[in-house]
Amino acid sequence: MVDETRRNLIKAGVVAVVGSAIGFIAVKREKLMELLKPVDKVELLSAIDREYSVYAERAKKKEAELKRWCMEEAAKLCRERGEESVECVEAKRRCDAIQVKATGPRKGVRFAMAIDLNKCIGCRRCAYACVMENNQGRNLNIEWIKVLGVERKEFPEILGSQLDYEMAPLPDTVYIPISCMHCENPPCVMVCPVRATWKESDGIVVVDYDRCIGCRYCIAACPYGARYFNWAKPVVPVLELNPNMHILGNVPRVPHVVEKCTFCIQRTRDGGVPACVEVCPVGARVFGDLNDPNSPIRRVIERYGVYTLKSEAGTNPRLFYFFGPSKPVHKQEGRR
Amino acid sequence: MVEGRGKVTLVDLIRYVIAEGIVRGGPSYKCLLTGLALMAIHGLYLWIFVQHAPIFLGSDAGGMIVTGMNNSVPWGLYIAFFIFWVGVAAAAIMFGLAGYVFHHKGFREIAVIAEVQAIAAILIAMMLLFVDVGRPIRTLILMPQLPNFPQSILDWDFIVLSTYLILNILAYIYVLKKMLAGQEPSIKFEHAFMVIAAPFAIGIHTVTAFISQALVARPYWHSPLLAPRYVATAFASGPALLLLILLIAESRMGLKVDFDVYRKTVYVIVGSLVIGLYFTLSEVQEIFWYTTEPLKRAQASVLFFGKHIWWLGFLGWLWVILGVAAVLLSFIPSIRNTRKGIAILSTIVIVAVICEKTLTIVVPAFTPDSLGQVVGYVPTPIEVAITVGVHAIGFIVYAILARAALKLLIQRQSVGHT
Repeated sequence: MVDETRRNLIKAGVVAVVGSAIGFIAVKREKLMELLKPVDKVELLSAIDREYSVYAERAKKKEAELKRWCMEEAAKLCRERGEESVECVEAKRRCDAIQVKATGPRKGVRFAMAIDLNKCIGCRRCAYACVMENNQGRNLNIEWIKVLGVERKEFPEILGSQLDYEMAPLPDTVYIPISCMHCENPPCVMVCPVRATWKESDGIVVVDYDRCIGCRYCIAACPYGARYFNWAKPVVPVLELNPNMHILGNVPRVPHVVEKCTFCIQRTRDGGVPACVEVCPVGARVFGDLNDPNSPIRRVIERYGVYTLKSEAGTNPRLFYFFGPSKPVHKQEGRR
Repeated sequence: MVEGRGKVTLVDLIRYVIAEGIVRGGPSYKCLLTGLALMAIHGLYLWIFVQHAPIFLGSDAGGMIVTGMNNSVPWGLYIAFFIFWVGVAAAAIMFGLAGYVFHHKGFREIAVIAEVQAIAAILIAMMLLFVDVGRPIRTLILMPQLPNFPQSILDWDFIVLSTYLILNILAYIYVLKKMLAGQEPSIKFEHAFMVIAAPFAIGIHTVTAFISQALVARPYWHSPLLAPRYVATAFASGPALLLLILLIAESRMGLKVDFDVYRKTVYVIVGSLVIGLYFTLSEVQEIFWYTTEPLKRAQASVLFFGKHIWWLGFLGWLWVILGVAAVLLSFIPSIRNTRKGIAILSTIVIVAVICEKTLTIVVPAFTPDSLGQVVGYVPTPIEVAITVGVHAIGFIVYAILARAALKLLIQRQSVGHT
């Protein structure tokens, strides 16, 4: 009886093998190769482009919802401080200005950023501007930009670097601002079980907050610690709300989803630069389109050459670092 | 009482399981169930009303911030015990496999208990994932179409875990139906089940290891040894738990187990333990002799020297000490050949593997994190209570299903012997 079962199993196996062999021979080879060909990235990306109407619809809904919430909060403020107070007027102004966009990527654009480590003074103003611009929950201490202080002679080993330094700039320290690298080969996108995060055709890695299941696999997979989880309900005061929003970017998050830097998608898709670039007091950050030969980023790459962090991880980051021409002033002073 | 009935429907079966597993138990058994139920309710309450309050109730307070996890250590106690229980579930196949390969009557008879263990362990594992996920209802997105199937290992894990669960439930239903009807379970079915389920059993634990071993960001995990190591120590802890259950069933319920089952299972446990210890040695060599990767070294010294988090070093060494002790104890005939000795041995093995495969696997990979920062992780009481609650649900299922099956087994044994 046992042998019979085995024989039957073997028979079934043989039938399956022969069947697939016949199929293999009968089907045209070209067709088979077509099937086996890896999916073209560009094709996939254009498929995402076509689906943008979904986001436009969702953005409209979100906008109405946010306006309602904002008005309620503003009314509360007005009751407390009086109708004529500065706060009340400001809150109402912001509520009126709320706009949730769903701008799609422009064709042929590939965003990248470069940071001049000789210029960076480690002031963390970029991190501050980022929090203000991107409506991060003020109660969760999430900062998309972290600035690591690394000893000049240890560079670029980030193990043992200082994240919470209190004095800057110090002469023997290199300050490395780290945020999402918008990798060409992002591990976070690969591991997401529900495709809630992906790379857009203009190079921005985005998260769909309405799809994220909060498993935090992407946080475990990111070699740059650039992803953050909303561990509780994020609180954004109305008076600090940035009304210029993008549905895949700085729209206020729901609890228990992952978020990350989006190169300020709400600004850059409309032709602007990210807030960190705008605010940097020493002009250490350069942002632009890699495909445009006249863009500042291309100029930096051609003139100085750039390197990336953890290049051995094979992620191909699009956030570059370089040592610009001028040595920082404080360093020369330190020597004298 | 139902013995020898011709046709048994699914409803009959469920009615029987409820009657035998819950209603007809003795006072101490009912006490056990009540205690477990209380723990389960407490855990569920904490999960719904505290940890996931912003999701389920829309409240402003609470949230996963009440756990010890943070952006630096995003996985904690839940994932740690998830890994352990997937191992236990995977190793439950061993009894059936031994019965299938060696045509061993003793193993074949009690294979149904192994199926119960697989069901309970996978339930615990899946529930742990469910309480760990930030937005549990959205996991339904996974169900029909597995959106990121070939790339995301979590999708693979979802497939193998649910398939293995369904397979074991089917096998349990089939075997119990046959026994209720007073017939012998067909050998054909058993073989078909083994051929299909055995790869899945290894698969669930392998895929669970693949989740973490392919991550470049975590050098401590980034080694192809992780999956074999998981499977090796799983085949120590899983059968050890089964032996404990069998011993309890023998002493409390009067089940008769062929002593050869114990002896052979101890061989498997000790063999797997030796392999697991050997893998640990191999990892130690790789990390402390020539590796120049600073992050890997830093993470390993959390585990082996207790740097930053002392209790991790303690657990790491406890695994080695208890593992070696268990192997040495198994050489003593009076321990290997007595039920009491085997009980002690199994307990040591389970504790050793818990030391090896829970927090010691998860936390060092995040300490220091990928930017070289040490944040650390200590599970909060709420987290512990939820984990305990999930385990309680799993043990309730285990107790009910196992008692129903054991009663039938004992009945059949008494019929066969008189």
